[in-house]
Amino acid sequence: MNLERVMQVDRRIIYLFVAVGTILPIIFLIGLPVSITPPVQMAFDRIENQLQKGDIVLVSFDYGPSSAPENAPMADAVLRHCFSRGLKVVVIALYPLGGLSEAVNELNKVAAEFPEMKYGVDYVNLGYKDGAQAAMKKMAEDFHEVFPSDVNGTPLDQLPMMKNIKTYRNMKLVVSLATGIIGEWWANLVNAQFGIPVIVGPTAVSAPKYYAYLEAKQMAGLLGGLKGASEYERLVTNKYPALAKTYATPGLYTATKGMDVQSIVHMIMIAFIVFGNIVYFTSRKKPRKAS
Amino acid sequence: MPSLGTWLAAFFTLCMLSFLYKDNPFFRIAESFFAGLSLGYYIGIVMNQTLKPNLVLPLIQNFHANWNLVFAAGLGVILYFRYIKRVAWVSRWALAVYVGYYVGVNMMQKLHGEVIPQVGNTMLSLHPAGVGTLWNLVMVVGVLSVLVYFYFSAEHKGAIGGISRIGIWFLMISFGAAFGYTVMGRISLLIGRMVFLVNEWARPLIGLIT
Amino acid sequence: MKKQVPLLLTFLAGTIPIVAFFVPERHVGLVSTTLDSWLIIVAGFALLLGVVNVVQMNANKIKRQSSGWPYAIVLLAGLAIMGFFGFAGAFNKFGGIATRADGSSTPFDWLYRYGFLPLQGTMFSLLAFFMASASYRAFRARNAEATILLVAALIVMFGRIPFGEMVSKWFPLTTEWIMGKPNMAAQRGIMIGAALGAASMALRVILGIERSYLGIGKGE
Repeated sequence: MNLERVMQVDRRIIYLFVAVGTILPIIFLIGLPVSITPPVQMAFDRIENQLQKGDIVLVSFDYGPSSAPENAPMADAVLRHCFSRGLKVVVIALYPLGGLSEAVNELNKVAAEFPEMKYGVDYVNLGYKDGAQAAMKKMAEDFHEVFPSDVNGTPLDQLPMMKNIKTYRNMKLVVSLATGIIGEWWANLVNAQFGIPVIVGPTAVSAPKYYAYLEAKQMAGLLGGLKGASEYERLVTNKYPALAKTYATPGLYTATKGMDVQSIVHMIMIAFIVFGNIVYFTSRKKPRKAS
Repeated sequence: MPSLGTWLAAFFTLCMLSFLYKDNPFFRIAESFFAGLSLGYYIGIVMNQTLKPNLVLPLIQNFHANWNLVFAAGLGVILYFRYIKRVAWVSRWALAVYVGYYVGVNMMQKLHGEVIPQVGNTMLSLHPAGVGTLWNLVMVVGVLSVLVYFYFSAEHKGAIGGISRIGIWFLMISFGAAFGYTVMGRISLLIGRMVFLVNEWARPLIGLIT
Repeated sequence: MKKQVPLLLTFLAGTIPIVAFFVPERHVGLVSTTLDSWLIIVAGFALLLGVVNVVQMNANKIKRQSSGWPYAIVLLAGLAIMGFFGFAGAFNKFGGIATRADGSSTPFDWLYRYGFLPLQGTMFSLLAFFMASASYRAFRARNAEATILLVAALIVMFGRIPFGEMVSKWFPLTTEWIMGKPNMAAQRGIMIGAALGAASMALRVILGIERSYLGIGKGE
């Protein structure tokens, strides 16, 4: 076989390999195990062991459809964990292109699974705010001035749980599901200047940078990409068996199921890269023919 | 049977994926429609989530306590003067406040939130000997060599050249790791769309609900 | 006036947050937090600047019937539809822009779920295909540095999937070590350098040395 001709194959054949490699594991689930890494364990332990029932957690939806397949499973797992622990959740969004709608849809989806949780008493959605850093700074001084009403326009003084939430000091933790730079701002602005612990769930593209913040203790945990989301799902389902039933719902997209597909496509990509390099080295060693 | 919304979403998804075969009018229409929707989305969130609750309602409900917001509104409106030739220069005032504020915030954020903690946490103990100390040495050598690499005021020759070479190796390891994570990230996005197409559109259509 | 006032405003707006950081005095804090509130509103106006720009550009394109002008009509149609429901939502028409109390979608939310989300999601998912093609054709161990990059990438790609752990527990352990030590060190070095650069650029802007953002050149 002429290996060099294989290297010139139409790129659409490569696309077909990737497409088939993605579709088949969705149809024929594999069920591969998920191992836990320390950054995700740290995030889980912070919520599980260091917060008391009734503590306030601020969950910031700082992502949009461009990274929803990674960040949405993280958001779902964190919200389910918080609700299972009896923590109170304040949801906001600071990402302009889709953050609000992701917050609305994910919170509604998870809250419906916990009918004992009441809106305004156990959780609220305060919606989106422009200005990002300006809003983050102002929330340290007066939360109600940044968010005078919830996502539907209900004034905060009509929401019982917001009566005693004035600044970050009334909260125990911030969890940011982020694409891009907003997650970094929670670590290098809010945590650095106001001291509130921060967990960030960045996309896999941004995740390598966050290890520096994690090591410097500017973050209390890190959920990197779909793998981080699948690890958190595993931790949550191990601790709360009732949630395992939710995650086993047929047809429900979860990060754990996504990792099955990820595994297959990764192997395809690794095979492409290794094959390409084999051909490269083989063709370099071949003696050149005289023209 | 998939709902109307699912059909629309599947149509848009397939229009976008058709670009993989070649550029075509369906892709271009979907792309243009997406650009329009995103701008319309901005209109919705800004009006509904910022201007109404943070500007309009406070001025209407309690002007006495919130009169200073008139200045904020003024700055915001002045930004649009750039589209009127005769008074375009006035928009620089609003731009100056906007840029000035964010660079001021950024400066403290970078120095206090990045430089100081990151430098502080690089000052690791290199004693006593042990595995932990070895990894501390890796981190210290890594950070210093990368910083030397990015110091372009001196030629990278001799000792500086040698240290910056080590910095390049650390950077290559980091970029390799970043590539691996980027692959994971991009594939995750594809998985999300394919799961939608298979589970929410194709399966109900073919009646293969598992 | 046209140049000096903006430079003065930049200086004031930039200095206030910095002074407030170091001087925890009530009046200084009041000025700073007032500015925070104002900038939330100004940021909202700034976000819509792009809308005006794009409408202007595409309207001109349609008027002149330049190349690709039918697509400009599609763009403006999308903007008009989504913008109408967004604008109306601010007046509590059609149930707003989130979901209604019974959980049903408002028109704005429906357009997001079945229009915006699939379009943007698929647009970004195309990158997976392009990445596979580019890796196959171009990712080569041409020299020592490229080999280090390649090996690190392969270890991380393999170590992050369950197959890696099934082959050997050293793959995920090595991956975690790579992320936590050499990667972290390099990212820290980049972060420190970039942060120092950004801080010095910020100082140049505040002091009026850097003026390009105002459309004024040096020495003007």
